[in-house]
Amino acid sequence: MNLRGAAAVVGVGQTVYYQRNTAPRSTRGLVAEALIDAARDAGIDVRQIDGFASWGDDPTEGTHMATALGVHELRWSSLAWGGGGGGQVPAILQAAAAIATGQATCVAVYRGMNQAEEGRMPYAKGHFDTQYSAHGILTPVQVCAMRTQRMLEIDKVPASTLEALALAGYHHAQSNPRAVAYGKPLDAEAYRASRMISEPLRRHDCSRENDGAGAILLMAADRAKDTRGKPAYLLGGVQGFVAGWGELTENQDPYTSNGLAPAMVERLWAQSGVTVDDVDVTQVYENFTGPAVAALIDIGLVPAGPAAGEVMTLENLTVEKGRLPMNTAGGNLADGFVHGIGVVLEAARQIRGDSPNPVPNAKVSLLLGGPMAPQVGAVLFGSEDALA
Amino acid sequence: MARQRFGLEGPSHTGHDVGHWDGLKAGELRIQRCGACAEWIWVAQPLCPSCHAFDPGWEAVEPDGVVYAWTRTWRAFHPSAEVPYTTVLVELPQAGNKRVLGLYTGADDPVIGSRVRGEFESAPDENSWPLIRWSAV
Repeated sequence: MNLRGAAAVVGVGQTVYYQRNTAPRSTRGLVAEALIDAARDAGIDVRQIDGFASWGDDPTEGTHMATALGVHELRWSSLAWGGGGGGQVPAILQAAAAIATGQATCVAVYRGMNQAEEGRMPYAKGHFDTQYSAHGILTPVQVCAMRTQRMLEIDKVPASTLEALALAGYHHAQSNPRAVAYGKPLDAEAYRASRMISEPLRRHDCSRENDGAGAILLMAADRAKDTRGKPAYLLGGVQGFVAGWGELTENQDPYTSNGLAPAMVERLWAQSGVTVDDVDVTQVYENFTGPAVAALIDIGLVPAGPAAGEVMTLENLTVEKGRLPMNTAGGNLADGFVHGIGVVLEAARQIRGDSPNPVPNAKVSLLLGGPMAPQVGAVLFGSEDALA
Repeated sequence: MARQRFGLEGPSHTGHDVGHWDGLKAGELRIQRCGACAEWIWVAQPLCPSCHAFDPGWEAVEPDGVVYAWTRTWRAFHPSAEVPYTTVLVELPQAGNKRVLGLYTGADDPVIGSRVRGEFESAPDENSWPLIRWSAV
């Protein structure tokens, strides 16, 4: 048994991404709004949702959501462990596994955040022990900065790769009215002038948290045909880590990678029946630019070392002109950051056809999940053609 | 550069790393090491991931290492932080190449691959713990 074609995304929903502490509803209320929006997109009654999956200390347990929405039955609820955004892909794969094995029929994968309710950076709480805090490492950006510094200084990946990724997100956000950076373009000069946060990462290398929620709905492929819109079929996915990674934190190896080990990448392609050359569009979780570049190197879209700079140019990352269009709604940096749900939504939208920057005839859509976290992952969505 | 502290040191709530902090009180850099199979273990664990012996022991090593990574923080993420300050990740060849975090003394950029030496700094009060400050050799 494998997950190829077993499940499909049939609905995509979200709230407005609010500036933090300005959301009009509780986290639970925000998630409910996103789930109702996703059900509307799918053309189904939201009470049909019988499974709930999230990640990263999301406070909206499936039991709470099922109660709030008055669903007919709760058959599945799960939370992917691990700090950082690394639980994002595992949450999707847990939902798909529940469907493939008949445990549930319609599973929502969602993430909501309301920092007025949960406090600042709720996804990072409890994940920085005293070995970090005693030495002034208090937030995710500093951890990602250390790895990025080594990637630049030792691996010789050019800093221009970070800039290209940031600019590409802002570029795509200019045609996404929902994006927080809509109407706020960023050019190279402004990027370079932005202040240092944690060397070598500047302000514009960093996502800024929003309050809000997003959700996708997954159903079995045979039932997906009865929903509204084009299903985005799951082609394959990998989650977790290979020995030498996990909760070893600063002792993880290889330290400058994203954690997506070669064995995991090989399994992804083998399971999905496509290769890296078949990828039409990519969404990469960039809480910070550096780890996202590492993820792109791990998956094989971008070469390691100095050659990374030749591939990662702004032009090459855009929908209009690039061979590697990525973060086509703006990504975490420019679309908005609710612990990475935005890139999940956009990965599905590219196949469903309602991306703000659609890649023409996209058949294979890659999602690279939260990087440099204790567990990581990657998922491929495809059109009906890709499944044939 | 300020020799600042964050007041956020001491054993973690699991207690797995208490041997490390006790070592600092005794003026030693102690890293976990399995008494049964001699494997170096860091981050501290309740058992040896290699041979599964419980309650691994602790071994003192010289505070000599090599810079593995670093960052200079420019934003005060803590009310008591005075920025900028520099944190280094130090690789310890004498402890199975395990890496420890520490504050770096000096205004220059640390150089990855270069040698550093740690100095023990005693706790300023009874509610605090000693720390190691690393500087270029």
